[in-house]
Amino acid sequence: MVKLEFHDPSGVVEVKQRHAPRVPALEGKRVGFVSNEQWQAFRMLPRLKALLEADFRGIEVLPIDAFPQGNAVIGSEETAELVKASGVDAVIIGNAA
Amino acid sequence: MTNAVAGLGLAPDAAMVTFPIEMFLPGSDISPVETRKHEFYDGLTRWKSAFGSDGAAEPPMVVVQATTVEDAFARANDLMLANRWGDGLPLWPPTRERVDWILRGATKPRTHVVGVFPPRGGVTTVETCAIALAMAGGRPEYLPVLATAVEAFLDPQSGSEQLQAASGSAFPVVIVNGPIGSAIRLNAGFGCLGPDPQRPAGASIGRALRLLQQNVGGALPGLGTMANYGGMRYTNVVFAEDEANLPAGWQPHATERHGYTADTSSISLAFANGVTNIRRRGAKKETPEEDALQGMYRMADFMRGPNMPGLSGYERGTPGILMIPGVVAQTMAGLGWTKASIREFLWEHSRIPMDDLRRAGCPAWIEIDASKVVRDSIALDPWPITASPDNFVIVVAGGGHPTNSYWLQGYSPGVVGRPVDVPPSFDSLLADAERDLGPR
Repeated sequence: MVKLEFHDPSGVVEVKQRHAPRVPALEGKRVGFVSNEQWQAFRMLPRLKALLEADFRGIEVLPIDAFPQGNAVIGSEETAELVKASGVDAVIIGNAA
Repeated sequence: MTNAVAGLGLAPDAAMVTFPIEMFLPGSDISPVETRKHEFYDGLTRWKSAFGSDGAAEPPMVVVQATTVEDAFARANDLMLANRWGDGLPLWPPTRERVDWILRGATKPRTHVVGVFPPRGGVTTVETCAIALAMAGGRPEYLPVLATAVEAFLDPQSGSEQLQAASGSAFPVVIVNGPIGSAIRLNAGFGCLGPDPQRPAGASIGRALRLLQQNVGGALPGLGTMANYGGMRYTNVVFAEDEANLPAGWQPHATERHGYTADTSSISLAFANGVTNIRRRGAKKETPEEDALQGMYRMADFMRGPNMPGLSGYERGTPGILMIPGVVAQTMAGLGWTKASIREFLWEHSRIPMDDLRRAGCPAWIEIDASKVVRDSIALDPWPITASPDNFVIVVAGGGHPTNSYWLQGYSPGVVGRPVDVPPSFDSLLADAERDLGPR
């Protein structure tokens, strides 16, 4: 019998920071959008806003242009600070492709 | 989305609702947003990362057993494909012995962290590089170039975080300058983009880099990378500049672009997403001057298409890498051309009339670019395909034949240079290579 032992080449994935905790429920929460303004985001995100507002009592969903839009700016620290300062409980980011 | 969290220490997964691409096209039916609305709601309220624990754990060794050596190799290769670690060509199983042999070329400890490979976020050590090089059929003396190329690849200036995952099928181009190119048998002449059994270094190094991109970085077709076509992705592009045939007064690429002295071994990494041959030589009774000028126009005219590959590197990157053979460089130098004057010519004559840009819808891309330099460039007519002539990369390489030049269309926010260090035992590694690979 021949035994061949070799390295797993995929390396290590080190998680140093957890994703944001989920909100327990959406009723009464404040939700924002961070949009890259591409891939039909201008149609899809308002549709999602309307659905959220119809399905969850007391929810406040900010308009899709509440924060800077576009691939060039949505990853910036400035945008992150604006999101934090807005007091939203959750953010939806879109649309990637 | 995965790409957005890469390298930040976050788990590589994220709460995502994915749809077929048709949903994202103009005029699409977006009603699935409503029928699948609960997936959005769950993403906000219930989703949990599959990567629950902090910290890192080394993956265990992999074992296959068989009745014969040949069967064991076949099983190992099958397993590597099943685990999505292969590229479809035969691989060397990265056994301890083989990886330890490759690590004789290391200049840093095997546990030294080179960086984190996007989009998956895999931690890349010197040993991880050696494992990939072993799989790719490499040798220890190739490791210094590979490890340095990985450093450059992971430099934020390279743009790899985006280009690893983007649909434009970008691939890294590694240009090697200095004595290490010839020492490790990197091809700079005929067939320098491979394959070449007497000079296999470029293929092994490039293939190892690709395996790292895939296995550690997660750039699997349609999953971790949306590259539509994935050209040049078996070996990427790794070659040496033909410094022996540089005309007098012409500087090596690494000196011009990165300021390294001619005796410094170095790599220079950029991204390209296209490869084309441009016919350069005349066919009848041209004078040498006409021959040179007509070839230059052919190159510039090709670059003048309103395709905007250079947009991502408009300010500090490159619109592309032009490879011209030594025999042509010598002739052009004799007529008074320099790399700088060739760049000036290409920059001036590849400018695109604004009417052509408008007809092709290009201004919309220019207007939304993150760079102010790009956005401001819309006022220029004809529009230069890159901000400065200096951004063109010109490398003397290729066989000793005057008919063809080669254009690697750039898709490169930066051009990243790094000097290459070698271990104290490097000469003995080269002696082993001479013994193993036979005469040059």
